[in-house]
Amino acid sequence: MEQSVNYLGLIPLFPLLGAVLIGLLHVFTCNRTKLPEKVYGILACVGPVLSFVMALKVFVALKGLPPESRFLVHKAFTWFSVGDLHINMGFLADPLSCLMLLFVTFIGSLIHIYSIGYMGGDKNYGKFFAYMNLFLGSMLVLVLGDGPVVMFVGWEGVGLCSYLLISFYSEDRSNVLAGNKAFIVNRVGDLGFVLGMSFLFWAIGAQGFDYLSLKAHVNDPAMTQGVLLTVCLLLFVGATGKSAQIPLYVWLPDAMAGPTPVSALIHAATMVTAGVYMVARFSFLYAEVALAGSIVAWVGILTALLAAIFGMFQEDIKKVLAYSTVSQLGYMFAGVGVAAYSAGIFHVFTHAFFKALLFLGAGSVIYALHHEQNIWKMGGLKNKMPKTYVTMVIGALALAGCPPFSGFFSKDEILYSALATGHFGIWAVGVLVAGMTAYYTFRMIFVVFHGEPRDHHAYEHAQESPAVMTVPLIILAVGALFAGLLNLPAIFGGDQIVSHWLAPSVTEHHPHAGVFIEILAIGASVVAFAIGIKIAYAKFGKGAPEPSFTGFADFAYHKFYVDELYDKVIVQPYKAIGSSIWKVIEPNVTDAPVKGVARLYMVLGTAFKVFQVGYVRVYALYMVLGLSLMSLLLSQSLN
Amino acid sequence: MTNDLMLLMPLIIVGAGAILLMIASTYDKFTHELAAYGSAGVFAVAFLVQLSSCIAGNVAPFSEVFNGILVVSNFSKAAGLIILACGCFTALSSQTYFRRNNFCSPEYYSLTAFAAAGMLLLTMAQELISVFIALEIMSLAIYILVGYDRKNVISTEAVLKYLMLGAFAGAFFVMGSALVYGAAGSTKFVKIGQYLAANGMLHSPVMIGGAFFIMVAFLFKAAAFPFHAWVVDVYDGASVPVTGYMATALKTAIFAVFANFLVIDGALQHKWITFLFYISVLTMFVGNLIAIGQQSLKRMLAASGIVHSGYLLIALVAVGTKDFTGSVIAFYLAAYAASTLGIFTALSYLGGTGEARKTFDDFKGLAKARPYSAAAISIFLLSMAGIPPTAGFMGKFYIITSAIDAGQITLAVLGIVSSIISMWYYLRLIIAMYFHEASEQFDEPAPSSLAPVCTFILVLCVFAISLYPIAV
Repeated sequence: MEQSVNYLGLIPLFPLLGAVLIGLLHVFTCNRTKLPEKVYGILACVGPVLSFVMALKVFVALKGLPPESRFLVHKAFTWFSVGDLHINMGFLADPLSCLMLLFVTFIGSLIHIYSIGYMGGDKNYGKFFAYMNLFLGSMLVLVLGDGPVVMFVGWEGVGLCSYLLISFYSEDRSNVLAGNKAFIVNRVGDLGFVLGMSFLFWAIGAQGFDYLSLKAHVNDPAMTQGVLLTVCLLLFVGATGKSAQIPLYVWLPDAMAGPTPVSALIHAATMVTAGVYMVARFSFLYAEVALAGSIVAWVGILTALLAAIFGMFQEDIKKVLAYSTVSQLGYMFAGVGVAAYSAGIFHVFTHAFFKALLFLGAGSVIYALHHEQNIWKMGGLKNKMPKTYVTMVIGALALAGCPPFSGFFSKDEILYSALATGHFGIWAVGVLVAGMTAYYTFRMIFVVFHGEPRDHHAYEHAQESPAVMTVPLIILAVGALFAGLLNLPAIFGGDQIVSHWLAPSVTEHHPHAGVFIEILAIGASVVAFAIGIKIAYAKFGKGAPEPSFTGFADFAYHKFYVDELYDKVIVQPYKAIGSSIWKVIEPNVTDAPVKGVARLYMVLGTAFKVFQVGYVRVYALYMVLGLSLMSLLLSQSLN
Repeated sequence: MTNDLMLLMPLIIVGAGAILLMIASTYDKFTHELAAYGSAGVFAVAFLVQLSSCIAGNVAPFSEVFNGILVVSNFSKAAGLIILACGCFTALSSQTYFRRNNFCSPEYYSLTAFAAAGMLLLTMAQELISVFIALEIMSLAIYILVGYDRKNVISTEAVLKYLMLGAFAGAFFVMGSALVYGAAGSTKFVKIGQYLAANGMLHSPVMIGGAFFIMVAFLFKAAAFPFHAWVVDVYDGASVPVTGYMATALKTAIFAVFANFLVIDGALQHKWITFLFYISVLTMFVGNLIAIGQQSLKRMLAASGIVHSGYLLIALVAVGTKDFTGSVIAFYLAAYAASTLGIFTALSYLGGTGEARKTFDDFKGLAKARPYSAAAISIFLLSMAGIPPTAGFMGKFYIITSAIDAGQITLAVLGIVSSIISMWYYLRLIIAMYFHEASEQFDEPAPSSLAPVCTFILVLCVFAISLYPIAV
């Protein structure tokens, strides 16, 4: 069924080697003569581009196989064996991981190229690219791993790199704190993942702990409904951490502290999509318990709603985008939750294009305005930065779900699936969120690019970004425009290429609810989009002053004080416990015997110095004494 | 014959090299720097020859040539490798050391080679008179090396102590040999073994006494309790490279011959188990206590050498006599030699003129001033303390495992306890280097890159050795 190949391991290896090489170069040159930036830039792009080429090769290889046997495996080496557990450093390419592979390497490469321009002049240029390559390599390990354990390696790798990159501008304490927050919140999720993985191993891991073996044993008697539900929910806890869902979404908006290309990478190609990918990967588990799916879907759609509410009131251009990501991830989880795995993954795919585009566009604006991020200090930029403006509008239309842009098709697919499987509540909230998305997206576009400039000094100095930054924007804009056509539903005359492509990898049943339902879903989405954009235009289209928030708006601007709540309920008590242990228990209870023993040895050691008198005659005496005692002992033991 | 010659080749090379260096020393133009390169070359060549015969893997007992006096085994080959590598690194680090300390003459390097010849002979010797001769070749050269700085009072005092106590121990050895000969009628290990197998230990008090005296001599050289007292003073008095050489190569040779002697016959080792048990425990703990009290780095390292002898004695308690391979002992010796020699190599270029920098306090803030050296020293210390993934950890792991396999659970536990205590003084130096500010400016190290390069190679060795698998 599966075919063995020997090149899959190379795909993550290229960026990982790049990371090592760039890192070493940086370490050995950063205090002396600096290498020219070009060297790092070129080295950094080689790995991702080579990986992309290899990904194409994988795609062609899979395409050449009959659909039901599209599985390529590569067992690089046995990583470790403990008892029953034999873990290979193995890689698996099937339609699902291949799709992820293609867009992760493609968008990752574009972001690397863009970064050459954006990071220009930074004193840690080399370090930045080392981390970026490591980030991409970890994500590729995550995607290509042939089992949960290898996936976990990549999973932790992206967690680490996100920490390193979010706190990249480490001179500023708040950035470091943002990095800490991302890391710690992710750790909470990781615990869920590890527990889920352990449960899964405990139940059916003995017959092989890779996806294909697990899939084959999912109906074993050991996998009762209870075990399945536990495993699914624990894994989902991991996903909520990595993919920023309720209740662990709080790290993602703060993650804006990193350089903009990092945000683009986190939001589009790596990291946050990992959770969705993981749920789709384990679709064979989720398909067995409907309850787990419903929980996933509801958590997803509520996250979408909450993030959309927050997004409507943000003033930092990157925070608007950050909440839009959280919201769109919510859609994706709603999709995989209602067992429309291909729809969810397809939304991951289109989202990668338009979100990378929006972030890089926002980066271009920020770069032009010398690191100004407050939208209320921008305005009228469309004349100054036409390329950025046009591409951003395309991205915004895709995000808002305007037909025929890519976001429309993928979002519509999710909402249709929800409706067709009878999840009316999810569908209704989803439509509402679609309207809100259109509103906040175009609020941002109108405020930033239309109307009169609010800060004339910054406006005068603003200019279009260099080609190394705008060309990736244009390429991504093309993707954001047309990526949706890949999965054109039958009602528009398409044949859902992506869904069919993914069919061998995911366990799903396509609902057939009839044309009426399909038209209803499409109609509602379009109407919601139209209303949202209408309100945004009415309020901000002609330029508007900075509003002052009161009441609910103020509450939403402060993100419902969720951060403060977490701080009060979890962080502060935790710190209090920690400091009481540190101040009371440690010095009095644990340290006392330790210090006592240490003091004892100190005294004994000093006492023994007395014997080192330095006279040869004394040393000789020791020998004779020792000899005598030993002889005595000897005669005792021999009798 | 050619095969026998190949196996003897390292010894011949080192011996001939020593004589040639001594002859060359009479020429004024032959500076001590040239001698350093020369002796390092001799050691390197001998090492490579030894390595090639190790890879070839043929074990010949010299049955025709030496009539059982010398025997080459895989164990003796491994010990020889360690000794030759130590010799080479010592020659190179001495070159750097003597850029700052000027009491050197070319004969110094000739003497290191003579000592190495004695040690190599010692690893192969399977006959009491040969052991004694080898022991004396080695010891005489080392005596001179310890006292090489004749104007230095401490150094002179050290050599006097070492010489007197060494003679004392040598007398025990000769006495013991005489008694053993009296009992067994031969000085060859094989014949003694046959005698023991036929008669058993208990029937011959002369045999017991003789073997006991011989063991005392070995314990003295290995610095085991209660014959350890000389070590701290002698190591402190000798110059840094010589101390490093003594701590590693000499100890390797002694433990090789000690192990060879113990496994002559089951009865011999078996009778001594209780006795060796106490000696090894006391050696470890007394060594620890002495080390804790020291302020001088060199004295601390000397005391820690006592502790490591204690670990090696654990391995001796646990040797299986039926199929003795010595792999555990050789592995531990290699691991210990790499880390100890590493520290002494680092000290030989960091120590400054007249070894001015010697206490823990003198190394405060080294991490800021010389980060790479501090990192290397930390790695060596962690290896000596037995922290993974260093060679020292694997060495201890094998020793503890072999002790457990031999049923010596108590000894294994005490070994672990001792290694925890030893963190005290190893970490103390790391703390001084990393967590304290320098009280004074660090002067420039000796102007030669040989010792730093050796340090780097030894760091690699510390990690590489830990990866080398052995069968316990």
